[in-house]
Parts: sequence; structure tokens; C-alpha cells
Amino acid sequence: MKAIICAIAIVLSLSAAVAAAESAATVQADQNAETLATHVCSNCHGAGGDSRSPTFPRLAAQQAPYIVAQIKAFRANTRGEQEAHDYMLGMVALFDDATAEALGRYFAKQPAVAGTPGDPKLMAEGKRLFTQGENGQGIPACATCHGADAHGNGIFPRVAGQHAQYIVKQLHAIQAQIRKSPVMHGIIKNLTPEQMNAVAAYLRSLS
Amino acid sequence: MKLTRFVFLPLAAMLILAAVMRRAEAVPAFARQTGQACAACHVSFPELTPYGRMFKLGGYTIGQRQTLPIAAMAQVGDTHVKNNKDGQGNAIVPKTDQLALSAASLFLAGKATDNLGAFVQWTYNNLNVNDAGKTVGHSGIDNTDIRLVGRVVNEDKTDVRWLYGATLHNNPTVQDVWNSTPAFGYPFTAPPNGIGPIAGTLIDGALAQQVAGMGGYVFWNRTVYAELSDYRTADGVFSWLRAGQDTHTPGGVLRLKGNNPYWRFAYNREWGANSLMLGTYGLIADVYPDDTLPGTPTDRYTDVAADAQYQYITDPNTFTVQATYIHEKQDFRASYPATLAGAPIGVGPTPANPRDTLRTAKLKLSYYYEHRYGATLSLFDTTGTADPGLYGPGSVGGSNNGNPGSRGYIVELSYQPIQYLRLMLQYTGFDKFNGARRNYDGFGRTASDNNMLFLNAWFAF
Repeated sequence: MKAIICAIAIVLSLSAAVAAAESAATVQADQNAETLATHVCSNCHGAGGDSRSPTFPRLAAQQAPYIVAQIKAFRANTRGEQEAHDYMLGMVALFDDATAEALGRYFAKQPAVAGTPGDPKLMAEGKRLFTQGENGQGIPACATCHGADAHGNGIFPRVAGQHAQYIVKQLHAIQAQIRKSPVMHGIIKNLTPEQMNAVAAYLRSLS
Repeated sequence: MKLTRFVFLPLAAMLILAAVMRRAEAVPAFARQTGQACAACHVSFPELTPYGRMFKLGGYTIGQRQTLPIAAMAQVGDTHVKNNKDGQGNAIVPKTDQLALSAASLFLAGKATDNLGAFVQWTYNNLNVNDAGKTVGHSGIDNTDIRLVGRVVNEDKTDVRWLYGATLHNNPTVQDVWNSTPAFGYPFTAPPNGIGPIAGTLIDGALAQQVAGMGGYVFWNRTVYAELSDYRTADGVFSWLRAGQDTHTPGGVLRLKGNNPYWRFAYNREWGANSLMLGTYGLIADVYPDDTLPGTPTDRYTDVAADAQYQYITDPNTFTVQATYIHEKQDFRASYPATLAGAPIGVGPTPANPRDTLRTAKLKLSYYYEHRYGATLSLFDTTGTADPGLYGPGSVGGSNNGNPGSRGYIVELSYQPIQYLRLMLQYTGFDKFNGARRNYDGFGRTASDNNMLFLNAWFAF
């Protein structure tokens, strides 16, 4: 009986020690990510992920799993856009998985950026496409994966409040398979440039 | 000039070199350190993007420290001067109308720690002309900037609120991050064997690689930049900052007395793909009339400048504008009395006036497509007090009316096939040169005789 109690105590102690070590590692990773985000990422992605230039996506309130997946995609070189190569390839090589996950947590908890309304007609068309899709072209509703409010879900990114120019550029990159995304490629392969502009204008208006 | 000889043959040679470079896959030191492309920091080198400015203000410390933080650069060019013969029919500047290596640089550049970084350039000038008028290669230190930086993050942990640092450098404004200031201002490269105007302000390159500059700066909220620096002659422990300069020949360099203050204030705003800077900078310097006679009284130069920069950077279109206006007050408190007394100080100035002014205005507009194809138009205008004591007649380089004014334009086309190479065709035209359009030197030369066509290949690897 004593032996069993001792064994349980040892297992519990080891578990607690492992949990404490993991917790300490997470805290350390979060601190590293905060330094990285404020000292480096903010130079392009803006304060708390609220980027000013449409060249760089807004990361504020982005889904953490999506950020981690993109960091891994940059590393694997499956994002072939010129900007991905010019800006991100070298940056993401500098941090490990724990830091990537901590960066995901950091940006996910930042407050979302307020939307910027644009041309009402364009936004209305974008809203229709986003919420209903276009059956005639085989385009399902974007909201199915990205959520009715476009806040995203897990590896499906938040697209609300994103720069319109960035959205359009990514849609073109995915359509041309410069950026590898088998699911999205199939969904948007028939999307026209005009439809891209409409969806982007609608998403930019959301917060 | 045959177009074939001037343009096509050198261009073919440069493209072959470009092909070789592509295979070499070498990268400059900062790009190696950050893993980023040159385009991340440069609109077109050396013009900085907003991120490039933060990289520099942050002390070149973003990225991973390299074991061997070195890079190299070389420029090969072909210069044509419209009229390269003086009144006697002799060539004015050598090595024109032929492909020639103009300069090659070695850089020690990168982070040492998370708070300390450096940019040190050593340059070999292949077209240096000595006192005897011979072209003799010469090397020496070039632009250098060493920084120690710190950061204070804002309360909500989203951005750097205060970015501050100290800089040690060797050229006034080389530490600046906006390309409207002289050191990294336009033209980014000029014909090494061209003919230049007689007058320029002190802050516009006259002290380059001759001084030790030490300063502190702060950039608040990416909005307000303030810097105070001090310049002194780079001697003693700072002598390495002017290594290669001719400090023994009278007039070889300029020598400052004591400490000379410099200021820089700028308002910066970034929105969308736009960035705007409005600023001022200036220098008050006491200069010995003859650098080899440091015990004499000094003249005082007060340079006050205003500048502005606008950039619109997207893919594929990029548009940038830089402008600066420099007003220089020249108080010849040493040279004028000495000249008046008939005993000029060494080889120092012999002004006819106790005080002169010199004003320089520059405007540059660039358009780039896909960061690859560029077109630039630049206008420049220097005016000032006529002073025959400073600007006397002389074949080609003199002024017949004592006026220092020069005015002209530069038109440039560039092509960057790969990030390590820029090909450039540049034309410089003068409306006025050393005070006049016609017979400006008193020997019958016209300003446009100095117009230049310059084909250049700029390699960075």
C-alpha cells in the first residue's frame, strides 16, 4: 500500500514539475513574443497588429492557429508572394514553434481594428458574396468558414477589418496558386477581379 | 559620341556581369542578418522605406548576428562630358567615354548585440585624381555610423513608444534616416569624373569623412524625431574616422575648432501606403581657414536647413519626393580681416566680403514600377552673394562674375534586374554654372558644356 502511495506521489510530483516547467516555458515564450512583436513586428504590422500600410496585413485579433499556420507556411516556403519572400521568410526563420505559438496568442488578444466603410454599392455586393456566395459560379459563402462576422475560426483567418488591397492581392495570389491554399483555391477559382474588390471593400468595413 | 560605343557595349558587359551575379546568390550584410530582401529597407538603395528607417534608428540590430558581417559594393560606369576640352584643347577630366571601375567598397555592417550595431564603409576610389592631375587609385574610410540604442514600450505593450540612441559617425547627416538630407541624398551616385560647381554649403558634404560626430537622438511614437550632435575634427582617438584623408597638405581637408553643434528635428507621419516627413536640421561650425594652421582664428559657418520627404509605397507603384533648402551664413571673421590686411591665413579663403550667404535648394521626384524600373527627375539651384575673392575667374572651374550660383537638373532612368544590381542612365544638365549661362569662367565656356551623360552599374553583394 505504501509503495502504491509513494508511486502516486512521485507521479503527481513529476506531473506538477512538468506542468510548472511547461508553464514557465509558456511565460518565457510569451515574454519573447511580446518583445518581438513590439520591437520588430510592429515596424510593419503596426502597433498591436494595426498596420497602416496595405502592404502588410493587420494581425490584431487574428486567430492564433492561423498565425501559427502562416508562420509555418512562410518557413516551408509555400507562400510564394514576393512580399512573403522579401519580408517574412528571413524573419520567421529566427524563431521556434513556441515563439510562433506565443505570437499567435499575442496578436489574438489585441483589440480588433475598427472598420472603414467604402463605396456602399460595392460593400453591398461584397456582403452578398460573403454571406451567400455565387451559386452560378460555384462559389460558396465565405461566411461558412470565416464566420458570419468574418472574425475567423481556428485556421480560418479573421478577415474583418483587413486592408482591402491586401485581401485582393491574396485572392489573386491564391487563385494563381502563388500562395498554396488548396481549399481556398478551389473555392475562389472562378472569382472575378470585380468580385474580389467587392468582397474586400465589405471586409474592410467590418470590425 | 557614337551611341553604340557609349551605351550598348557597356550595357552588354553589365548584363553579363548581372547574369554572373544571379548565380552567385550573394547577399549584403544587413539582408543576411534579417533574412529579408533589400526591398524591405530600400525603395531603391540607398533610399529608405519606413521599415528601413526603423532598422537604422534601431541601431541595425534587427535579425540575427552574423559571424562575418561583411558586404561589398562596386560601381562601374561610363561618363561622357559634353565638352571635355578646356580652352587649350586639353582634356579636363580623365577616363571619360570608356567603361571604368569608379569605386569599390567593403562594409562591416550589422548587429553586435541587441542594442549595438554598426555600418562601416571602406572605399577604394579608382578614379581619384592627385595634385599632379594623374588618376591614381586611393582608398580610405567612407560613411560610418555606430549606434547604441534603447527602447521603451508603451503601456499597452503594443509598440515602442520611445526609441532612443547614441551615434558615432563621420559625416554630418549620414546618421539621418530621411533621404532629403545631404549625406544619403540625391544624386545617390554621380559621375565620378564629371565637372562640379564651385560652391556648396558646408553641411552638404564638405565635412564628409573629416569629422567625428557624436550625438543622441530620440524617436517618439514614430512621430517626432529629435537629435543633437556635436562635431569635432576627427583627430586623436577619432583619427580612424578620417583614415585616408590628406591631412598634411594645406587645404587637403577642413579642420574644425573645438565642438560644433548640429540639430535635427522632424515630424513624421505614416498613413496607408503614405509617409510624410517635415523637418529642419543645421550646423554651426568654426572652421580654421587653413587646416594645417590650427592656432589661427576661425571663420564661422551657420547652416540652417528645412527639408521634407513624401513616399507612397505599394506594389507595383512607388512614388517618392524629397526636398531640402539649405541657407548658409558665412562669417569670415578670421579670413576677411587677414585678407584685408594683405596677409591671408595660409591657403585659406580670401573673401572680398566680411560675410556671405549661400543657398541651396534641391527637389527630387522618383517613380518606381515593381521596385524594378525607375525614373527620377531632380532640380537643383544654388545662389549666393557674389564674392570675387572666393569665386574668381579660371578656366572651367572658375567664375567670371564672382557669383557662386549654379542651376540645373538631373534626369535618371534605372533598372534593377536583381536586387544586387542597379543599372542607371543619368543625364545632368546645367542652366547656370558658377554664376552664368555663357562664358561663366571668363574663358568662353558655357554652362551646358559641363552637361554629363552617365551610365552606371551598381553592384552590392
